[in-house]
Amino acid sequence: MDVKKTDSVTTVGMVALCVMFLVSSSLVWGMGSRVPTVGTTAEDFRLLDLAGKPQSLSQYRGKVVLVNFWATWCKPCTTEMPAMQATYDKLHDKGFVVLAINELEDEAKVREHIQQHGHTFPVLMDRDNKIANQFGVFGLPVSVFIDEKGVVREYIKGGLLTEQIILDTVARIQKAEPIKAASLQ
Amino acid sequence: MSLKRFILGCSMLGLCLFPGLWPVVQPAEAACGSVTCFVVIGSQQQVPQAGILTFNTMYNYTPMRLLDGTNGVIPAIDQAGRRLILDHHQEVRTITQTVNFDLNYGITDRLGVQVSIPYLWRTHKHIDGLGEEGANGEGELVPFRDNGIGDMIITAKYNVLPTLRSMIVAGFGVQVPTGSTSARDAAGELMESPTQLGRGNVGLIGSVYQTYELIPHRLNQFFYGSYRHTFRNNDGYQFGDEYNLNLGASGVPLERAPWLVLTGQFHWRYLVHDNISASLERSATPADAPDFPGETIVLDPAITNRRVPTTGSTYFAFSPGFQVSLNGLIDSPWTKWTSVYFHSQIPIMRDSNNNLAQGISYIFGVTRSFQLTKSGL
Repeated sequence: MDVKKTDSVTTVGMVALCVMFLVSSSLVWGMGSRVPTVGTTAEDFRLLDLAGKPQSLSQYRGKVVLVNFWATWCKPCTTEMPAMQATYDKLHDKGFVVLAINELEDEAKVREHIQQHGHTFPVLMDRDNKIANQFGVFGLPVSVFIDEKGVVREYIKGGLLTEQIILDTVARIQKAEPIKAASLQ
Repeated sequence: MSLKRFILGCSMLGLCLFPGLWPVVQPAEAACGSVTCFVVIGSQQQVPQAGILTFNTMYNYTPMRLLDGTNGVIPAIDQAGRRLILDHHQEVRTITQTVNFDLNYGITDRLGVQVSIPYLWRTHKHIDGLGEEGANGEGELVPFRDNGIGDMIITAKYNVLPTLRSMIVAGFGVQVPTGSTSARDAAGELMESPTQLGRGNVGLIGSVYQTYELIPHRLNQFFYGSYRHTFRNNDGYQFGDEYNLNLGASGVPLERAPWLVLTGQFHWRYLVHDNISASLERSATPADAPDFPGETIVLDPAITNRRVPTTGSTYFAFSPGFQVSLNGLIDSPWTKWTSVYFHSQIPIMRDSNNNLAQGISYIFGVTRSFQLTKSGL
C-alpha cells in the first residue's frame, strides 16, 4: 500500500472520529445534570421518606426549605448534619424545614445512621439518582435553600454549612433580601 | 494489510465510541521499538472539582524483548543521511522507565486542565550494521542509554455528563515536543527517532473517559479511549497514529475497608506504522559476494515518503492493580486526600511485526489532591 493512500485513510479516520465524538457528545449532553439557577423556581419532586411516607417539595410551599443531598460515606456530609439538626430544632416551628436527600444507599444503612445520630428532619431516599440529576448534583454534599415561593435562593456545593450559616441564610431569605449569587466559593 | 488493520482499528474504535464514548493517548513505538505501558488511574482522567489540584506521580517500568519466532531484523533509520536501510539492525531489547508528573486542575466543576511531564530513562541494545560490519557481516552490538524530559502533554478536559453516578469526560491534548531528539549511541551515531526521548514535533490527542457506578460507591465501571496523531518531525520521521482503548472495573472488596480498591482493566493498543522521508537501501547479503560484507545497496535514491517496515503493532493486555487511600487508613495531615497504587500489565496478545514486543510492565504511583480555592469537596 502506498504512503499517500495511508495518509488519506488516516485523515478520513481522524475526521470520522471527530464527527463521532461531536455526535456522541451531543447525545449525552441532554442526559447531564443542570444546576438550577439562583432566582428560578425549583422543580418539584416527590420521594418516599424513611417511614415510607411520600414527601414533595411543593407541600412545603410557604416555608423556607433546605434541600441537602448527602450519603453516609461522605464525610463532609455527615460533618455538617449536626448543624442542620440544630437549626431544624430551633426553626422548624418558624417556617423552616430540612429535607435530607440520601443518594443511592441502602435504606437500612441510612436508617441506622439517622437513628445513631438522632436526626429528626425528614430523610428522603433518591434511589435512582433522579432528583440529584434534577438539581445538578454530581458531588456531595450539596445544599439548596429554597424560599417560601419555591424559588432557589442559595446553591452551596461542599461541606460548608455551619449552624450560623444556616441561621443567617434562613433569616436573610425570610426577610426577603435581594437574591444573592450562587455559592460560598 | 496495513490498510485493513487501520480500518479494523477505526471500526472497533467507532463501535466503542458511538453510543457516547470515544478514544485516545500515550506513548511511543517504532523502528527500534520503545513504548511505555498505559493504565487508567481515575484521578488522572477525571475533571477535579473547581479549585482542586490533583498531583500524580507515576513510575512506569516497561521492558521490550523479542517474541519467540521473531528474529528482530529491522530496517535502520539514518535520519542525518535520510536513508531507510532494510535489514540493517537486529533488535535485542529496550527498557523504558518513566516517572510521569501529572498536574490536574479543576478550573470549573466541569472544565479542567492537565499537564503531564514525563522524565524517561531509556536503555536500548541492538546489533547495527548487518551485512556491513564484522568479518561475516554479523554487525556489532551497540548499546544506547539516555535520560531526560520527554514530550509534555497539555490537555483540556470537559465533563460532558456530570452526575453522581456516571461521568463522561472529553479531552483534547497537545503533545509539546520538549523531549530531546539528538541523542547519540555509543558509537556517536544519531539514534533513530523512535528511540529518542522526544518525538520532535507536535502531537494531537483526543480522549474520552467514561465511568458508571454499577453498585454505588462499591463497584465502578470505566472506559478510556484515546487517539494520537503526531506530525512529521524535522528529521523527516513521522510516528504512526496511536489508538488506545481501556475497559475495566474497580471495586471496594470489603465494606469495612473502604480504603482498599481493587482494579482490573483490559487494554488494547493499535499503532499504525511509521513513515520516513528517505531514500531506500538494503544491507548486503551473502548473495552479493564478493561485496559482502560491504556497503549498503541503493534500491531507490529518491527521497520520498516511505513506510517503515516492522513498525506498527497491536497489543492486548490485562492489568490487575490496587489502590490504597491513605486518607482512610492513617489519620494525618500528610495522608489527607492521598492514595498510592500499583498495577502490572500482563500481555495477552501481541503482534509486534518482527520488532520488540512489550513485556510485563509495572506501574506504581502516588496521587494527592490539594484544595487551592475555597469550594466544596
